[in-house]
Amino acid sequence: MPRDRSLRAVVTKLPPAAAWPAAAAVAALLWGVVSTQAVCQGAEPAASASPADNQFYEQQVQPLLKQHCLRCHGEGKKIEGGLRLTSRSSVLRGGDSGPAVDLDKPMSSRLVEAINYRDLEMPPKDKLPPDKIAVLTRWVELKIPFPPGGPEDEPAPPPKKKSPQVDEQNRNFWSFRHVVRPPVPQVKGAAWVRNPIDAFILSRLEQVGLEPAPAASKQVLIRRATYDLWGLPPSPEEVAAYTADDRPDAYERLVDRLLASPHYGERWGRHWLDLVRYADTNSYERDSAKPYSWGYRDYVIRSLNEDKPYDRFVREQLAGDELPGAGNEGLIATGFYRLGIWDDEPGDAEQARYDELDDIVGTVGQVFLGLTVNCARCHDHKLDPIPQRDYYRMLAFFGGITRYGTRKGGVEEASLRPLKTDAQGHNQAEVAAYRARFAKVNDRIKQIEALAQPDFDSVEKDEFKIDLNHQRLIQKRVPRLVSQTLYDEYLQLMDTREDLRNSEPPAMQKALCVTEVGRTARDTFILLRGSPKAPLAKVEPGFLSIVEPSSPTIPPAPAGVNTTGRRSMLANWIAGAENPLTARVMANRVWQYHFGRGLVRSPNNFGLQGTAPTHSELLDYLATELVAGGWRLKSLHRTIMLSSAYRMSSAANAAGLARDHDNDLFWRFDMRRLEGEEIRDSILAINGTLNLKMGGPGVYPIIPKAVLAGQSVPGAGWHSSSPADRNRRSIYVHQKRSLPLPLVESFDAADADGTCPVRFASTQPTQALSMLNSEMMFEEAGTLAAFVETHAGPELRDRVAMALRRAMQREPVPKEIDRGVRLIEEFIARHQLTPHEALRRYCLIVYSLDEFVYLD
Amino acid sequence: MSHPPTGSFCGRTRREFLWQAGAGFTGLAMLGLLDKDGFFASQAVAADGKTPFGNPLAPHTPHLVPQAKSVIFLYMYGGPSQIDTFDYKPALVGKEGKTIEVKTRGRQGARNKGRIVEPRWKFHQYGQSGQWVSDLFPNLATCVDDIAFIKSMTADSPIHGSAMLQMNTGKIVSGSPCLGSWVNYGLGSLNQDLPGFVVMLDPRGGPISGAKNWQSGYMPATFQATLMRTRGEPILDLAPPAGISRPMQREMLDTLAQYNSEHLALRSDNTNLEARIASYELAYRMQSAAPEATDLGQESADTLEMYGINQPKSRVFGRQCLLARRLVERGVRFVQLYSGGAHNDDNWDAHSDMESNHNLHAGETDLPVAGLIKDLKQRGLLDSTLLVWGGEFGRQPTAEYAKGSGRDHNASGFTMWMAGGGIRGGQSIGATDELGNIAVEDRYHVKHLHATILHKLGIDPNRLSYLHSGLDQKLVGVEHVEPIQKLI
Repeated sequence: MPRDRSLRAVVTKLPPAAAWPAAAAVAALLWGVVSTQAVCQGAEPAASASPADNQFYEQQVQPLLKQHCLRCHGEGKKIEGGLRLTSRSSVLRGGDSGPAVDLDKPMSSRLVEAINYRDLEMPPKDKLPPDKIAVLTRWVELKIPFPPGGPEDEPAPPPKKKSPQVDEQNRNFWSFRHVVRPPVPQVKGAAWVRNPIDAFILSRLEQVGLEPAPAASKQVLIRRATYDLWGLPPSPEEVAAYTADDRPDAYERLVDRLLASPHYGERWGRHWLDLVRYADTNSYERDSAKPYSWGYRDYVIRSLNEDKPYDRFVREQLAGDELPGAGNEGLIATGFYRLGIWDDEPGDAEQARYDELDDIVGTVGQVFLGLTVNCARCHDHKLDPIPQRDYYRMLAFFGGITRYGTRKGGVEEASLRPLKTDAQGHNQAEVAAYRARFAKVNDRIKQIEALAQPDFDSVEKDEFKIDLNHQRLIQKRVPRLVSQTLYDEYLQLMDTREDLRNSEPPAMQKALCVTEVGRTARDTFILLRGSPKAPLAKVEPGFLSIVEPSSPTIPPAPAGVNTTGRRSMLANWIAGAENPLTARVMANRVWQYHFGRGLVRSPNNFGLQGTAPTHSELLDYLATELVAGGWRLKSLHRTIMLSSAYRMSSAANAAGLARDHDNDLFWRFDMRRLEGEEIRDSILAINGTLNLKMGGPGVYPIIPKAVLAGQSVPGAGWHSSSPADRNRRSIYVHQKRSLPLPLVESFDAADADGTCPVRFASTQPTQALSMLNSEMMFEEAGTLAAFVETHAGPELRDRVAMALRRAMQREPVPKEIDRGVRLIEEFIARHQLTPHEALRRYCLIVYSLDEFVYLD
Repeated sequence: MSHPPTGSFCGRTRREFLWQAGAGFTGLAMLGLLDKDGFFASQAVAADGKTPFGNPLAPHTPHLVPQAKSVIFLYMYGGPSQIDTFDYKPALVGKEGKTIEVKTRGRQGARNKGRIVEPRWKFHQYGQSGQWVSDLFPNLATCVDDIAFIKSMTADSPIHGSAMLQMNTGKIVSGSPCLGSWVNYGLGSLNQDLPGFVVMLDPRGGPISGAKNWQSGYMPATFQATLMRTRGEPILDLAPPAGISRPMQREMLDTLAQYNSEHLALRSDNTNLEARIASYELAYRMQSAAPEATDLGQESADTLEMYGINQPKSRVFGRQCLLARRLVERGVRFVQLYSGGAHNDDNWDAHSDMESNHNLHAGETDLPVAGLIKDLKQRGLLDSTLLVWGGEFGRQPTAEYAKGSGRDHNASGFTMWMAGGGIRGGQSIGATDELGNIAVEDRYHVKHLHATILHKLGIDPNRLSYLHSGLDQKLVGVEHVEPIQKLI
């Protein structure tokens, strides 16, 4: 067991006196039976103490204990770490993790260790002066004499409040029970029931005498469904076509059309990326980029668009590298393990390793199983029947994983693998051609830059280290050192180079993926209070015992595979149809993203303290539907979206508000504010500039200088994309942990440092400031003005109407158009604005409409 | 539910229900959040369907009687050296260059011996209380009777990235809300026309990890800091684009309000829509309130002088300190100023040459900080404003390299100080060993500092919690933490 005294910080993070750090002897003790062992120790017969010893205790030891120790270890109400120092037996019995004094090896006793600040530091506040340490040491040497008449057989302090146990009662908790398809309830209003979902919803409404809201209008529905499945507004043409479509199955056709589009994967992929804490950088000081992280993002989008069965999707992400036949796709999927934050310069390397593993255990537990397994890192889960042992058994599945990398270059070795390609020779030629082309462009760029470089002052030399500054520094020297013609060429070349960077031939691309240390994993131990310095019992991989009591036998990985095979076992258990949590958790998420809230409102917590499902039978119905449908999400989407429940209006009525204000029973459809990415994408879609190109490396929209100034090296890690690329959908924007896109961030983007199961929808004045005043918005408003000038003809009324129509996706009423016309005309007349500039200001308002950012 | 909570430790169902309710975060859910009963009561109020916009930053009633209303955190980024500033170590004097056995831990890892670099400045005692201050701070030295020095600070990491996160968020792992976020979450803001949490950066650059040092982590963006500048536009996107005058913008907002009110009329039960309409008016008011707050032209020549604004070296930090005073005067809860930015000697990270580095940074800040204390005092604001001074860690008594006077990082013992907000000045608590290397007496951790700051503001650090990832997260961690008793 490591005993690096200089790394004391970790141990001092333990609660004062909460527990003795485990010495090697304790490592053999199983967690949970420590107290039994300790009682045996306490049975040690008292040594007969001489009068001199007793005097020593009374005159020197007792006052010292009283002054420095007994407040927490004997006299106070609270007994820290279960240790009392008030009697010989209680000292020998010790605390939570073992005896305080070992009579066989008194000088190695934990008490002696602790007062010398070797492992634990006691008293926590200040080290005792040497003379006092000497007194206590002497006392231990004398085998801790206590004078006769003391409380010899003091009872052990009462055990702390029990954590929920792994027992029959808890096994019977709703989320741990097997999923059984519930019978579909009978309802009175059968006419409303389009499929079983409606029966489940309506039966609850009928019980309290509420009626479901009437159906939403066709215009509301197409807007709702398009944002729901695409995260984009329907075009005016699509709205017109749908509202004019009188066929009885027009709505079914709409849903099918939306599901068939690749935009579906972009929208629902975003949900998944929120869950798996996806970002393209590592956070911390350098916040450096994760190479090829975008491969994982594209994998997610592709998988959803292919309607990959969810169980397969889970298996690929957890163990795609071990999955026969999964190929490149399986390898890229395991990028899942590499998405988290990573401190490339940790203060304590061992602690950091466990923090990284905790990130994985926490994400897997919450995302796939809906359980906060992470709460059992330091102690048994206080609210769920998840013993600390289960945390480490789960961690053991990941015991073979190599760390993400090392600061100097180790990422390539640990986390990148080449993709397999078919025709080797052909690919080689392609790669060579690409490299040559890149070198040519790059050399020419350097040549032009070399004309300006000698002119740089020392500040500029530093600035030149950041790519983003190159163009500005060269431009400053046009035409003095660089001719206009050359500069134009330079700009062209910069774009070409960026394009080349973003279009490596497949044979050059790599997978950001998991790797393991070999076919044998490192040992995993339970860690006392989560401290790597205090390992207790060794554990083997095991499932959560509340769900699956038996332990898996792990067959060796197939020949040729350099991993332990452990993750495959976990993946199979999670993705197995018998797992009671997996299908429920995912069905709940699908419902959540359609309806704005889950049937279980705490989608990452299906534990005892999660919120109970508002419709438990409906949830189980959906879970069985998901599995019965081959785990395919698209058929579940279709079932949900074709229900009457999904098609309800969001309008309130007095009865509903009075009986069920929070809409627990789904008597109406809840309104929803667009998410940050949807808002940005819609701004661009509405003014006709959204670039729908899919996939590839992340892009870099312009971030205002004032925001870049918050970086320790302004502009570091933020490149310049071509104007077309800047207008790509938000999911393709390079997601830098320490530099989020301001507009998207202010509208509650997911914080990617951990799993994000539910987006906030906050309202704050900074949002208004950026919508009204930002350079970006003023520019986009100008583009919208130009768009309607081009497409709506010369009449101002038509232009205003088109702007409104595009933003609200409905036909504006005359009053709304009049209002716009009036403002624009007044701006022209009173503020002497050109018609375009006046229209532009109006367009800025259009972007701030509540109806633009809220869906009915 | 058949399983009632087994303790108050890890979670509360109702709260999670609200946080994760489909409509997402609303201001209403925030009111009275600190108090469980109050929390449920406000929920009932919200359920009437008529309750108007509840601003999450509306002031809340604190747990305890607050002594301070606001905090100004003077963040000395990079890690000032304790033994060259306030932690007087006569034992080092005359030992320049001597190699000794000493355990240190910094960016170079753990070492067992090192070459002593003597403190580069002379120390003298000041004030009635006789506090030791080095010649780096001739002006601040005149304020020591208002200052309480904590000379036994410790932190978990001697590496900037994680140590900065710990000083600002309590955790060495990225992703948690900042101290200022917690304060605003707990107390709300006293001025709705200004942000409640303001950060001002050194013009040389931001600190490493950038926005991670002022973001709200797992809390809503409402609680993250707003960056303010003393020159140009004080807040990002505060000023309308060129070509939109204030009257023009007023007309635009009125037109917008007409559209939005019509939209609301059919959806009057949705308080978020109302909140959004209100937020545009709030933004409009901020446009005048923030420039007013940042307009130093209203200050007298004497005041500018006091903050060193007339001197080139102290101009920038002086303006920031003065602006900080103007902000707390207007009810801003938490202001954090960075002395030092970017990398290396652009901040207090003196790895190569102590003298040039600390002369620069102390020279820039000494007069402004002293001015701030005196100015707050003369205006009667010092009692309600808590000042905190310090960096993410301190420095070692020995040299980092074979040559030169630079010192490596040291998280095992360093000095911070507090003043105002009811702090008893003129005292030093805790001590490092005779080398000034390791805190040995009354050792305090960053969490104790945080607990003390919250306590001064009337917040019980052990009760201020936020449910995230299944845990009631706290700034000070899940274990009980005592504020520094000698300071309260």
